[in-house]
Order: sequence, then structure tokens, then C-alpha cells
Amino acid sequence: MSRTAPHADEPNRLVSLYAMAVRLYPGPFREAYGTSLKQTFRDSLDDRTLSRRTLIPLVLRDLATSLVKEHLIMLRDTFGRPALIFNALVLAGLATVLALALNTIPQQVLRLGANDPQIALADDLTVKLQQGIAATDAITPASIDIARSLTPFVIAYDDQGHPLASQARLDGAIPAPPSGVFDYVRQHGQDRLSWQPVRGTEHGVRIAAVVERVMPVGSAPGGFVLAGRNMREVEAREHLVGQLATLAWLAMLGLIFVATAVFGWITRPRGLQSMVKAG
Amino acid sequence: MMKTAPAPVPLSPAVFAVLLALGDGDKHGYAIMKQAHTPEGGNVKMGPGTLYGTLDRLIRDGMVEETGMTDDERRRYYRLKARGRTALAAELDRLNVAITSARASGLLAHGGRS
Repeated sequence: MSRTAPHADEPNRLVSLYAMAVRLYPGPFREAYGTSLKQTFRDSLDDRTLSRRTLIPLVLRDLATSLVKEHLIMLRDTFGRPALIFNALVLAGLATVLALALNTIPQQVLRLGANDPQIALADDLTVKLQQGIAATDAITPASIDIARSLTPFVIAYDDQGHPLASQARLDGAIPAPPSGVFDYVRQHGQDRLSWQPVRGTEHGVRIAAVVERVMPVGSAPGGFVLAGRNMREVEAREHLVGQLATLAWLAMLGLIFVATAVFGWITRPRGLQSMVKAG
Repeated sequence: MMKTAPAPVPLSPAVFAVLLALGDGDKHGYAIMKQAHTPEGGNVKMGPGTLYGTLDRLIRDGMVEETGMTDDERRRYYRLKARGRTALAAELDRLNVAITSARASGLLAHGGRS
């Protein structure tokens, strides 16, 4: 009659469990060292000088740390190759330049297009004033609250920059641009600017403004005309363009990331260097 | 006047223990691991995963190689290469200088172990 020790199968069970754990290592490492790992574990179990109480926690700790380490090394070897990273950075740089262009060019086009009605209004009013028509007669009476209305408006100023007639009101008063604008227009004939009239301590209203010089002709006195329009809608479109450009940029970066990851995985180093050396 | 050698990069405990174990002859994985566990081998408690990860890096760095000999097809033997022997010697020198200095400062008893 043979007697079986109560824990006779324990080493085999432990080896089987360890063999399952070895399968968690990255493929190349497992292929290179899987057999050796299992053999070393078997040797450890066979070593009567090493108690299970010491061995098992040691092996568990070792599995936890070395699994993480080998996977990190595999990731570094797969995705940390300088050529791969360089290509990804170049593509990300190009995507960033493209996204900036997608943001800047449409915004500039929108901003420049926002001046079109004002240019026509300013030209027409300038011609009338230079023909000697009084500002109050040349300007159709209106009271446009430029903080709210999107309607284009005109204002005529005398040669010192004092308002003569205006369709625009801001908080009940006729707004006036900074005197530096008139100085510039006096020298250059015209200025196109984004103007933020002061509202108390706020600068909440932005106006796309065109300011033209009215040259004194005969009895007609010199002065300035300002044609403007609230930029609220244009800025909303600019904001939308900015959001779309940001989304396009993020999408391009995501695509580059995914493509780099896939390419890195496809072209990953096959097997460990040690396998090559071991022949 | 003492000749000053360039300071070697300190080796990690696992690398040091593996190189030290192979310093006195070719060994298979478990023999390396067992020697590393001893006080003479550096008292480094490492398991199979750490051992073969370390061996792989050492093979990659040209410090260790497989001998190609085996007493069992599942047991592979490893040996030090010249580069590994140099690195081990440099590390031992570094430790020796530190221990000599510690003894001179009274931090370590003469002939004693820390």
C-alpha cells in the first residue's frame, strides 16, 4: 500500500500557476526566457534550503515588479524609437501650423470683410461733405445703439474731432475714437480699425470702423467721417472658426498618435537582442 | 600620489549581484539567483523575472553572454564578458574606496561588516 503525502502535488500546481503568470510577460521576453523562468522557479521549489514562506512572497513581488518593468521596456522599445518620435513630432508640428492657418486665415478674411459696408458708407458721406452739404443734412437721422444694434452707422466730426452729426449712440452719447486715430487719418487719409469705445470702465463693445479724412474744398470745411458696425456677429463667426480649427488640430494630433502607435507596433523590434546574440 | 580613476557609474543592486555571481565562473539562472541571495553575493533578493530581465539587459550591453553549454536543455549558462568584468571591477573599486573611507572616519569597524 502506498501513501501519498498531503501536499505531493503542490509543486506541480505552483509550477502550473507560475507558468500561467509567465504568459503575462511581453511576447519577445516570454519567448526568450519563458523556459528559463519556469526552470528557475522549479529549481527554487526543489531547493530545500529555501522555505516556501520565503519563496512565494519573493516570487509574487518579483512577478509584480518585473511584469510592469518588462512591459514598460517593451513599450519603450516599440514606441520610444527616436525615428518614430521624430516623425510624430514633425507631423504634429505640421498639423499645428496647418491648424493655425485654418484659424488665422478665415478670421482675417472675416475681419476684413466686416469693413465692406463701412467703406462704402464712409466714401459716400465724404463725397457729400466735400460737396459742401452740411453734416446734419448729409446724415440720415437715426439713433442707433451701437452696443446692441448690428446696423452700420456714420458719424461726422469737425477738423478738431468734435462730433457734428451722428446716427450712433452709446449710453446716450455720441462716441468718439481716440484722438490718435484722427492724427493718423490726417496724415494717411484713411484708417480701418477695431474700435472699442469706452463705456465707463468697460470696453465691452467692439466696432469695425473706417475713418476717412474730409478735405476742405472751397467753402466746405475739413473734418472726418467715421462709419462703423458692431462686430458681435463677426466675432461669433471668428470664435466658431477658432473652435473648428481647434477641433481639426486635436483630430489631426489624434490621428498622428494612432498612426504612430500602429506603425510603431507593426515595425516593432521582433524578439530580444539577446535572442539574436544567442543565435 | 594616488592615481584617480574616473568614477564608475554605480550599478543597480541586481546588476551588481549578477555580475558578482558570474565573477567566479559560469552559472545558470538559479545558481546566479541563489548566490545573489547570500550575504557574500550582495544579499539581493531577486526572483526569476528580475534575474532574466537583468541578464537580458546585460547581454544587450555586451557584459554577459550565454555560454551555449547546458546540463539540461531548459537550463542556460551565462558568463561574464570583458566589458562586464571591467564594470564589476570598477564597481568593486568604488565600493572599496567608500568602505576604506568609512573605516577611516570610524563609521565602520575595522574588519567588521555593516
